[in-house]
Amino acid sequence: MKRIVVVLAAAVLAVSMVPIASAQEEGDLVTLRVGLTQDWDGLNPALNFSVPSYDVWNLHYATLTDKAADDFATIPGLAESWVVSDDGLTYTYTLREGLVWSDGESLTAEDIAWNINTARDQGWDNMISTVQNLDATVIDERTVQITSSVPDPKLPTMDMYLVPKHIWEPIATDYDAATEYEAVDGVGSGPFILENFTKGQSVTMDVNPSYWGWEGEEPPYDRIVFQLFENPDAMVAALQQGELDVIHGFPAGSWDALEADPNIEVVSGLQGGFDQLAINGGALPDGQPHPALLDLEVRKAIFHGIDRAAVIEDLWYGHASEVEAISPSANPIWIPDIPEADSFTYDPDLANQILDDAGYLDTDGDGIREMPDGTNPIIIRHAVNTDGDLAPSIGELMVGWMEAIGIGVELEAYDQDTLYGVTAEGTYDTFFWGWVPFVDPDLMLYYFTAAELGNYNDSNWTDPTYEELYVEQNQELDPERRIEIVHEMLTIFHDAAVYLPMYLGPDLQAYRADTFEGWVKQPADIGPIVFSQTSPSYVLLTPVGGGAAGSDTNWLLWGGIAAGAVVLVGIFLASRRSGTKDERE
Amino acid sequence: MSLAMQRRRATAGRVWKQFRGSRQGMIGLSVLAIFIMMALAAPLLADVRELSPVYARAAGNPQWAPPGEFPPLGTDFIRRSVWAQFVWGSRVSLFVGLAATVLTILIGSIVGILSGFVGGRTDAILMRVTEWFLVIPFLPLAIVLASILGRSVWNIIFVIGITSWPSTARLVRAQVLTVKQRLFVDRARSLGGGGTHIVGHHILPNVSGLILANATLAVPISILTETTLSFLGLGDPTAASWGKMLEEAFVNGAMTRNAWWYFMPPGLGILAVVLAFTLIGRTLEEIANPRLGGR
Amino acid sequence: MSGSDRLTSEHARRRGRRRLILRKVLGSILTLIFVLVFNFFLFRVVQTDPIGSLFRGRNVPAETLENLRTAFGLDKPIGTQFLFYLKETAQLNLGISYQTRQSVWDEIVVAIPPTVALVGVSAVLSAVIGTLGGVIAAWRRNTWKDQSITSGTMVFYSMPDFWLGMIMLVLFGVVLGWFPVGGMTDAGSNETGLALLLDELYHMFLPALTLTLAYLGEYTLVTRSSLLDVMGEDYLTVARAKGLRDVVVRNRHAVPNALLPVVTLTAINFGFVLSGAIAVETVFSWPGLGKATADAIRGPDLPMLQGLFLLFSAAVIFFNLIADITYSWLDPRVEEI
Repeated sequence: MKRIVVVLAAAVLAVSMVPIASAQEEGDLVTLRVGLTQDWDGLNPALNFSVPSYDVWNLHYATLTDKAADDFATIPGLAESWVVSDDGLTYTYTLREGLVWSDGESLTAEDIAWNINTARDQGWDNMISTVQNLDATVIDERTVQITSSVPDPKLPTMDMYLVPKHIWEPIATDYDAATEYEAVDGVGSGPFILENFTKGQSVTMDVNPSYWGWEGEEPPYDRIVFQLFENPDAMVAALQQGELDVIHGFPAGSWDALEADPNIEVVSGLQGGFDQLAINGGALPDGQPHPALLDLEVRKAIFHGIDRAAVIEDLWYGHASEVEAISPSANPIWIPDIPEADSFTYDPDLANQILDDAGYLDTDGDGIREMPDGTNPIIIRHAVNTDGDLAPSIGELMVGWMEAIGIGVELEAYDQDTLYGVTAEGTYDTFFWGWVPFVDPDLMLYYFTAAELGNYNDSNWTDPTYEELYVEQNQELDPERRIEIVHEMLTIFHDAAVYLPMYLGPDLQAYRADTFEGWVKQPADIGPIVFSQTSPSYVLLTPVGGGAAGSDTNWLLWGGIAAGAVVLVGIFLASRRSGTKDERE
Repeated sequence: MSLAMQRRRATAGRVWKQFRGSRQGMIGLSVLAIFIMMALAAPLLADVRELSPVYARAAGNPQWAPPGEFPPLGTDFIRRSVWAQFVWGSRVSLFVGLAATVLTILIGSIVGILSGFVGGRTDAILMRVTEWFLVIPFLPLAIVLASILGRSVWNIIFVIGITSWPSTARLVRAQVLTVKQRLFVDRARSLGGGGTHIVGHHILPNVSGLILANATLAVPISILTETTLSFLGLGDPTAASWGKMLEEAFVNGAMTRNAWWYFMPPGLGILAVVLAFTLIGRTLEEIANPRLGGR
Repeated sequence: MSGSDRLTSEHARRRGRRRLILRKVLGSILTLIFVLVFNFFLFRVVQTDPIGSLFRGRNVPAETLENLRTAFGLDKPIGTQFLFYLKETAQLNLGISYQTRQSVWDEIVVAIPPTVALVGVSAVLSAVIGTLGGVIAAWRRNTWKDQSITSGTMVFYSMPDFWLGMIMLVLFGVVLGWFPVGGMTDAGSNETGLALLLDELYHMFLPALTLTLAYLGEYTLVTRSSLLDVMGEDYLTVARAKGLRDVVVRNRHAVPNALLPVVTLTAINFGFVLSGAIAVETVFSWPGLGKATADAIRGPDLPMLQGLFLLFSAAVIFFNLIADITYSWLDPRVEEI
């Protein structure tokens, strides 16, 4: 009797397991699930800099002005309109009516002015180049005036993330407190508000009904979850199995498989991002590279020894684009044309020639060149960024490339955060990393000035002409003239041979066509759909058929397990019975 | 030839005869022989330049080619011949496995013999140290040491040797104690033989069989540890070992592509070598300890 | 033996046992202290400037760094620093991770349940299945059953466990699509309670299967040889002569005695497998202590490695102690009158 009850109970449990597995869809929040492979270095908008952090900020903090999806043109944001003074130095913005923070506090001109002035006074890393010459004054609750001490071509664009004064005020006057602040207070003004941040795992953001951009309409969905994947293949599989709605940064090798899936669309988004092979330029007295690298000829030879086409073809499966000079903006017009004669074409013979002519010969026949005086074999420390997918392979290629031109390579591995410190201190010779620029080239150009030595100027390089030109473009209001200046700067930077842009790296993204629709590329046609400059897609999406699609395999699996469990229980009970009888001796 | 040498020769001959008769032993030995020959003949079997991605590209190799397209074992994500990596990788894996075992056995035997022979305070101290090392989880210790020392073949050998010696030490000590109890040691003493003489002529010969058996069983552990350490990224980045092949396969998406020709061979190689050593070791154990025979 | 003699010897035995356990506990504590000393000095030697490393790349004024160094007692002599380390460790303050800048203890605590679940299930399964296999192999010694069980488990035991995991992942996750290819739960789902548990079990299936297969060889071989030892003994012949069925003789008499080393093996293994799942967790992106270790290797995140190492060692010491005590409790010679 007891046996029958047990078997029945097992059967009931098994059968009941099946409905539970699929019922999870109903009654849940409609969630957009985003997969990514790069970790957030933090969520403090004043200090942190990893690419994924920007999309959190794009969603959490509204900005004074926004950018158009198709061409980055400046459009109204928190400010609904603005006027400029005759001398071009003062902009007066009128805020929309009824702006509030997500916690109910009013969002007024006071917040805007306080943000600008505080960021300037405190020297907040991410904002300083935007606000250093600005002064903001409150005219009235909805009017703020921004005056620049010098002509500023970036205005009226004011895209710095505005933090809530009423939360930040206590810590804002202490640089350390402000930059160490984790900024997970959950108070923002954007379409979605940070609800949870688990570094190394996920970010959850809940919809903010009081965001001005919903325009009183019901927001189309409730929640966004950013999920970090240790293993990019797992992320791809998760998209294929319907566990994610969109993924960012999948390995180039998975392109074909994703494209072949009828429910998935692939995107190769260009927004000026590039990866570079950087050489330590030796500008820091305490962070010196191998002495050979201080010679321009050696650096040029090294660059001629690097096969960029191989990297594009083999590591990107052809999905990256060639580029000769670095790209300081998401907008390609800022990239100069470098004449063929000055380009670092892949030519190991030429590289060897240059090194021979410069006197770096292999005097002891061990395959490695020495300094002209015969000492100090040229062995360079190449730092490998273990958080980058391609960096280890580039490291191996570096060994092979440099071997062909008589230079030894020692590989040292660092994770992203540590590498940042290593480059800031100059304890390296070469490394491979990348940038994703903004729309205005100013910040990117700023990174290679003397002021950023020991911080973001990771090739440890300065040049007086570059410094002068930087100041000039920083105040040039004529767009065409400004482009000319920037081209000149970047040509100088190119010819100094401290940065070799390997390629323009697209953001490889894929989305499910059957869960959400309304994806928008920024810029139009060629750009990515998420993790772009302002990621306009998020607020334009609508769910297809009401929510996240489940996966079909669950039914089969649970059915199988249930059946198996019943069978096992049955066998166990059957064998027990025969045992008990015989055991009565 | 001295009487002792003659006796030792005879023992070796007897052992070999018994070994030859054991099927499992001969299978193990043959498999091992094949791999050792492969490792030694590496330059003949595959061009070492094929290990360089720059060379592979210049040679026009395809990417991710299955064996059908690029015999015998296809290519990897960066156009290198998998066969070349397998052949040359065997050198590193076998060398590290053997060298690390030599270090393990050396340290373990010295500690075991000292402990067992000298006895007393020395024994107590050494045994405490041994037990303490046995308690420390082996892989985390290896990881910590490797992370600190840096990634090179010699560091890996050192790390494995330094973490694996305790079980050898315990075994050797037990055997030394047994031997000590036998009469002829006392006899040698009464005949005036000194410490080193006793160790060299009486203890070592009686312990060497056990040490050999233990060594062959320790090699698999060394090889598996090197593989795991390489897989976790602690291996020498310039040395192509089987473990490194698995690491690169994992990191570069061999699993999603089902590029079985990339991650199956190194695993099978490790499996074969480890099994070979295990079989040889078990056979030697059975010969040394006939009670185990017939099981 | 007179009645009072029996009582006295029983009493003495119990007291002896208690003293034995006390001795073992003290021994474990001593070992733990050695581990602490080792842990401290090893990492001390390498971490020349922990405060500097922690704030690398941040525009922190030198004065703040100096203040922090004083606060952490880094300007004191090494002996004082060690005592400080002991005090902090006792309060579970294991330092700050270089990579996440969060408390090491917080990071570790979160990773413990997934590993305990995975390793616990695998340890139990491999013990049960492995022992069963060993029993069958010994009982049917030298038949095809014995050969296949012994060879089979030996093959699994001889391969890198994470390689087996890779094969499982490709075969069942990628090619057949029956199981997920990593992680512990579905991304971004709001499941709670039973649904969440089932999802986690679903994700745990392949890694658990991998660990179980990889380690059951140990149990099979030990059980088998232990059983063969026992099978030669007298009381089994008596039981057989009494006419009891084979399976009863096996299950009621031979097996329990042979199980003793298996029990201790299980307990010891639990401590070791905790740290042995590092590579397997990496393959399956299982968010446990193993994966935390693999991630810490990349920096290297020395405070994390230091904390994890301490935890792993403590676990092994603890479970060895349990095994020791369990063995002395279960040893039939102690129970015999």
